[in-house]
Amino acid sequence: MISGLKPATVELRGLVKRFGKDVYAVDDVDLHIARGELLTLLGPSGCGKTTALRLIAGLERPTAGQILLDDEDVARLPAYLRDVTMVFQSYALFPHMNVFENVAYGLRVARRPKDEIGTRVEEALAMVGLEGLAHRTPSQLSGGQQQRVALARALVIRPRVLLFDEPLSNLDAKLRKRVREDIRELQQRLGITSVYVTHDQEEALAISDRVVVMREGVVEQIGSPHELYTRPASRFVADFIGSANFLPGRYDGQQIDLLGYRWTHEQDVAAGPVTVMVRPEAVEFARDDEPALEATLMSSAYLGAATEYVFDVAGTELFATMSGGGMSAAEKGDRVRLRLKPTAVSLLPPD
Amino acid sequence: MDASSTPNALRPRRPAAGLAVSGAWLPAALAIVGWWALPIGRPNRPFLTLEPDLYAASIGHPLLWLTLFAAVAALALSFLPVPTARRADMVLAVGVVALASVVAWFMISTTPFGMGALLVLAGLVMLLGNALSESGRVQGDAFIASSILFVSLFVLLFILYPLFTVLRSSIYIDGRFDFSVFLRTMQHPLFFMLGNDRSAVDEVALTLRWSLAGLIGFATFALWRRVRWTAVLARAVLGGALGFVLGALIYGNGALPTSLLLVSIVAPTATLLGLAFALLGQRGRLGAVRRSLDVISILPIITPPFVLAFAMIFLLGRRGLVTYNLLDMQSSWIFGIPGVALAQILAFTPIAYLLLRGSLSSLNPALEEAAQTLGAGPWVTLRTITWPLVRPGLAAAFLLSMIESLADFGNPIILGGNRKYMATEVYLSLTGRFNPNEAAVYGAVLLLMVLGAFFLQRWWLGGGSFVTVTGKPTSGALASIPRGLEVGLTVVLFVWTVFVAALYLSIVVGSFAQLWGVNYTFTLRHYQDFFAGAGWEVFLFTARVAAISAVPAMLLGFLVAYLVARQRFFGRRFVEFGSLLSFATPGTVMGVAYIFAFNTGPVLLTASATIIVIALVFRNMPVAIRAAVAGLAQIDPSLEEASTMLRARSLTTMRRVLFPLLINTLVTGLIFAFVTAMTAVSQVIFLVSPGNQFATVLLLGWVDQGQLGRAAAMGTILIVSLLLVIVVVLQLARMLGARMVGVRT
Repeated sequence: MISGLKPATVELRGLVKRFGKDVYAVDDVDLHIARGELLTLLGPSGCGKTTALRLIAGLERPTAGQILLDDEDVARLPAYLRDVTMVFQSYALFPHMNVFENVAYGLRVARRPKDEIGTRVEEALAMVGLEGLAHRTPSQLSGGQQQRVALARALVIRPRVLLFDEPLSNLDAKLRKRVREDIRELQQRLGITSVYVTHDQEEALAISDRVVVMREGVVEQIGSPHELYTRPASRFVADFIGSANFLPGRYDGQQIDLLGYRWTHEQDVAAGPVTVMVRPEAVEFARDDEPALEATLMSSAYLGAATEYVFDVAGTELFATMSGGGMSAAEKGDRVRLRLKPTAVSLLPPD
Repeated sequence: MDASSTPNALRPRRPAAGLAVSGAWLPAALAIVGWWALPIGRPNRPFLTLEPDLYAASIGHPLLWLTLFAAVAALALSFLPVPTARRADMVLAVGVVALASVVAWFMISTTPFGMGALLVLAGLVMLLGNALSESGRVQGDAFIASSILFVSLFVLLFILYPLFTVLRSSIYIDGRFDFSVFLRTMQHPLFFMLGNDRSAVDEVALTLRWSLAGLIGFATFALWRRVRWTAVLARAVLGGALGFVLGALIYGNGALPTSLLLVSIVAPTATLLGLAFALLGQRGRLGAVRRSLDVISILPIITPPFVLAFAMIFLLGRRGLVTYNLLDMQSSWIFGIPGVALAQILAFTPIAYLLLRGSLSSLNPALEEAAQTLGAGPWVTLRTITWPLVRPGLAAAFLLSMIESLADFGNPIILGGNRKYMATEVYLSLTGRFNPNEAAVYGAVLLLMVLGAFFLQRWWLGGGSFVTVTGKPTSGALASIPRGLEVGLTVVLFVWTVFVAALYLSIVVGSFAQLWGVNYTFTLRHYQDFFAGAGWEVFLFTARVAAISAVPAMLLGFLVAYLVARQRFFGRRFVEFGSLLSFATPGTVMGVAYIFAFNTGPVLLTASATIIVIALVFRNMPVAIRAAVAGLAQIDPSLEEASTMLRARSLTTMRRVLFPLLINTLVTGLIFAFVTAMTAVSQVIFLVSPGNQFATVLLLGWVDQGQLGRAAAMGTILIVSLLLVIVVVLQLARMLGARMVGVRT
């Protein structure tokens, strides 16, 4: 176990990183990360999430703005003077050093006494479950083991903030799920402030306290995984996290009206025309006696655990996923009546 | 948030993160010690005299006092307990004052700088580096920032400034612009003359006939292709012009047409031979062919550039073994364009071969396989797929041969006969006609021609950068060469190999023969002369100078490669451009440039071993840069970032991560820097002085005086010792590298 960790809060204020003359990789980002929180930067490639991470690390110099660690601006400090460290996508294990030397590197650079290095490296290796592999070279380890060496190497120097740059992308799908649980468990046990970059929305939802969705250098939305999924602030977020249908409707402050189908909905949105975001799992077949949305079945695909449907609602396609067989009697071209689960519906400003 | 309203303002002012003391204090102290304890100037050439009058304190100029004052202020400010970045800004300001004042004093007084000045300048540059890094103005730590400053300073002082003096001296004479020397040189028969009253033929008429032939030829071809009449006209004019140029090159006299004619023979021949050998080496069916090509590609590296020319005298000269003893003819046909061209083709084909081999091996075999599955035979595949794809490589090889041919000094000076060449005229106008301005004119013209070709190549191939992507060899079966072509090329290679082997052998035999061409009895006389006379001493001096220059050349090359490939900073392109410039500049031009630049003033360096070392360092640095860039490209940059994230400074990262991983590359770079320094001739021939004699220059002198036996002994010793160095050290490096890196996937 790593002792003596002093996690910090991180705050970004008006952070800008411009490459060349007019490429804004990070464009005026404000962000507060609480002590011990795991915050994920999520977005498609080129959205600026990695640049933002590298700015916090000190590997890039900001064009403007502040980076505060416990209220102290470190934006102009070189990387090696910030108490921040990073786990790299490629792990970046030194190929000419064995596992012990890799983990000991940061302590040796800091000129710690030899016996202290020995104990601390052993502690760190034990923490990630790699006792006994200290004398292997990185090339003799599996991907998952390499990842854990990288984690031990980062934690052994007791950083105040830990950064992860897509740490799972070099692992195969099965291992990825387990390692991400391990990372989350360790992070919570140590209570270390962490910033995590990924382009995988499922990974982000599974691991984070809060998620920041970024797009073209700008923060699109910040929230808990639940908030982002149920109340996306924009079409982009709704589309990027999970999948979504967008239908034009009206909202009067209490009720949504979607082509005559009305139901009560509470959301802080101005009354008037709105875009209704409908998650595929919100769609169900309605009973004959309840109000419903008229639609035509276009196609369906049976996937075992679920069935996927495509409906035509007044000229707009509506994708739906229903667990089990749904209503297997309906055939292509049939008129059907649909109802929407209110919890998986949210309103967005009109297009 | 207003900082003064937060509780932070109540905390002690010392920043929690960051540096308690600016790293600038140490270099500031260094500068102060240099100012106080060592003479800031020196009386003349010697560095190590402690003349009391030349201490900064006893000179007592206000600018010097300002330097001291500012350095002391920087030292004091380094300990000020304010946030790192703000303190660094203050240190930066006084540091700039200190540097500006001391540089200004040297510019005004033109005193050569002494030991103290070196220390002061080094200290102040490092001080600025620390301040720039701590203030966040330069990404990276103090070492990176200081390195950027030092490297830029070196490029400016030892590459750009000397070249600038050449251009200046060609048109700026006795303190004013004066184009008379420039124009006189251009019109001089030694430079270019077409009409020659002394010869029987009328050169102008002959040239016009060529021009007319070109005009008619191009026009006929255009008419046959049925293009529009404007295009016919344009092509006729082009043909006429080309014909005129060709005629002028053939019939004209003087350095310009001779050098250009030489280029137009050597560059295409070397390129095509290089391509032929590359095809054979990569796709040939015979293992022996490949082995002989490996040898051919290493020979020019260990051979001083003119040794083959000198061996050609043994074989083909007036008393040559082949020409005189076997064929019983007494001709001196090799003294002139044919001989120089042959020597240059021998010297530059291996370079073209290496370049084209790389270009061929980066070719994706799947493309040729695709062509073959679509029904293309070997000839068709070669013509339609391989040839168009290696065209950029061919262009590069062509232009490189062009540059080498224009810049070549050794071959024309030995085999040139009574014709004039650009590179040798630079030398002769300075040392023979004692006209520095004329030398500058030749130098400027040659420089512009070579740089034109060089940047044409860079522009053509895109980039203009050391950091170019080199293709990875991909797997797959390569299309074989058509059988007939392979047989032909193998014959060419065989003849080539026999000829080159005979040349090398003749040097060895010549060193043991009484008198070549007359008396072939065995003797050790030449070696006795060599060891008893100046030869051995000069050889040792050369080896020492080469070794001394190789280490900084390699380290500086590595540093530049690291900065250019791994760091982003203002002036990166400038550093890269400067280094490329020093690679492309003909050696004689650089030699003349050093004479002009470092003969007086604060940077007085001529007539010392130091200037030879500096010239060699900056000449060979680009070779090391290339090697290091290639090595760095193999290393994932996140390894360095990981080291940084673990609080290592960049110097630690270099020492603990990059050096162990690159040890092989570095040793190779070191060896090549050493070897090229030992075989250098054109850039040092101006810089040697009594007591600072260079082996290659001495060898050239002996050939000139006709002491061929002794020259052969020196040549043999040079080649054999360099071969040994390369083989032994590269083997050691390979073993060392394998141990350092351990098991690798």
